[in-house]
Amino acid sequence: MRILRKNTDQMAISETELLALTADMEERHRQTLPKMHAAVAEWVEGEGAAERSRVSRRGFLAGGGIVVVGGALLAACGSSSTKSATMPSGGGSSAPVDVQAGAMAASLENLAVFAYGAGISAATAGKLGTIPPAVVTFATTAKSQHQDHANAWNAIVTGAGYQKVTTTDPALISTVQTDFAQVKDAGGLAKLALTLEDIAAATYLNAIGVLSSKQAISTAATIQPVEMQHAAILNFVLGTYPVPNAFAMTTGARPVTDYSVKK
Amino acid sequence: MSVDEHALGELMEQSADLQAAAMHQSTEALNEMVEVGHDRRRSGDIDPDQDMAAAARRQELMRKSLVGVGTLAAAGFGAAVLGLFDTPAFADSATDVQMLQTAASIEILAVATYQTALTLPFIGGSSANPVVKAFATTTMAQHTQHGQAFNAAAQQLGGKAQSAADPKYAAVVKAAVPSIKGPADVVGLAIKLETVAAETYVADVSAYSDLNARKVTASIMGVEAQHVSILLAVQALLAANAPQLIALPPNLTDLPGAAGSIGFPNAFYQTDMASPASEGALS
Repeated sequence: MRILRKNTDQMAISETELLALTADMEERHRQTLPKMHAAVAEWVEGEGAAERSRVSRRGFLAGGGIVVVGGALLAACGSSSTKSATMPSGGGSSAPVDVQAGAMAASLENLAVFAYGAGISAATAGKLGTIPPAVVTFATTAKSQHQDHANAWNAIVTGAGYQKVTTTDPALISTVQTDFAQVKDAGGLAKLALTLEDIAAATYLNAIGVLSSKQAISTAATIQPVEMQHAAILNFVLGTYPVPNAFAMTTGARPVTDYSVKK
Repeated sequence: MSVDEHALGELMEQSADLQAAAMHQSTEALNEMVEVGHDRRRSGDIDPDQDMAAAARRQELMRKSLVGVGTLAAAGFGAAVLGLFDTPAFADSATDVQMLQTAASIEILAVATYQTALTLPFIGGSSANPVVKAFATTTMAQHTQHGQAFNAAAQQLGGKAQSAADPKYAAVVKAAVPSIKGPADVVGLAIKLETVAAETYVADVSAYSDLNARKVTASIMGVEAQHVSILLAVQALLAANAPQLIALPPNLTDLPGAAGSIGFPNAFYQTDMASPASEGALS
């Protein structure tokens, strides 16, 4: 990976200070994980246990298709918030909405992990030209946080007796792969990442109006702002005003019931 | 300063268009809330037990948010917060309205703080960084809209509009203003207010009994988090004595690597600094 290090002398102190701040942030981040785990554990003990019992009696889950991918990434999301809040667009699973939403969210987070991972790999292989160090740090940190998000949702999914979601969102993966093939530089990678972050934030905002358990709502509420923070920094990197809206939007939200979670 | 002010102006215009679209969505949610509020008042369906339950939910959530913070915090600020939840007067009132009024009070304080900051030469004057000035101006306008949204929501649920600033943090701002010497001081103060706003709304979202109050608050919490994110980046660059890098677009090649992650310190948004529902509520 080619990383620019201009003005090394000028920025030496700055880098040190910033690294110290980053270490402090990492510590704070680690402190938040036990709280999230506690919230998820409570869900598993409560509503998750009830659901495991219910699913066990039922013995099966109705399968369902997925949204057909077509066109650009946002078009592939294709649903209004109203529709997604009330109408499954193809999942058709009989799992509780919180489990379905958790599986959908986990698959979206897996997609983000995949995209950032692919970007980092391509940059390491020198396929994206010179990558500024701030972009490398961004991608590495965002990827790690998306993995944490995926783990949180999978804890809810498996706690209810369903299979861990290890795949990327089936409705978007092929479009992301196609779009990623067109990425030639850091700017292109940032644009693709911004689209994914916007979709994730919109999906969580939409889900907050649909989820039923307070633990699931709380999980979505603690993640949605982080995705929006990722988007703010990406907008800044791309030279776009970083906080473009006074109110977050659900445009591009993935329907919460669009992932066919399996028992 | 590598800032194209014309381009920045165009970006601000585009931002205003996007914001108008977002306002439309928020207005729809508020209208829905209006209908719900009207229905509830017409039917007398404002259930004290429901409000008690909401208060209990929020108290429980706040207790959880304090787990792991440590004994010191729990015995200080945390204990004070939980004490407020335990008061009968709080539990008897419409908790959703209280949370909305407190949210409005936080927004009012934010607007006043940015308004004051913009009178300072290094924030809104000729010596100000254009990006910082644009950010303060736009952010103030966004907080104005947030305050209006929260007040409209409170009113439509049968509560009164809050017109006063959050008393706890108004005192913090008042105490801080005399010691402001430069942009970093303003940014530090703004980070505190934005963090309180974001964390309060994140905590509130899972405590509301009213679905539309939840939706309105959820549509705002992430925006406050974005404000925090940008302010953290600006703070770091100021601390690193690199104000020239606060530009739009930024000079990516000169940005220190750590600047890429300074704006989102946690994978999960915290609620340690969330204000209790009654903090800015009307009696």
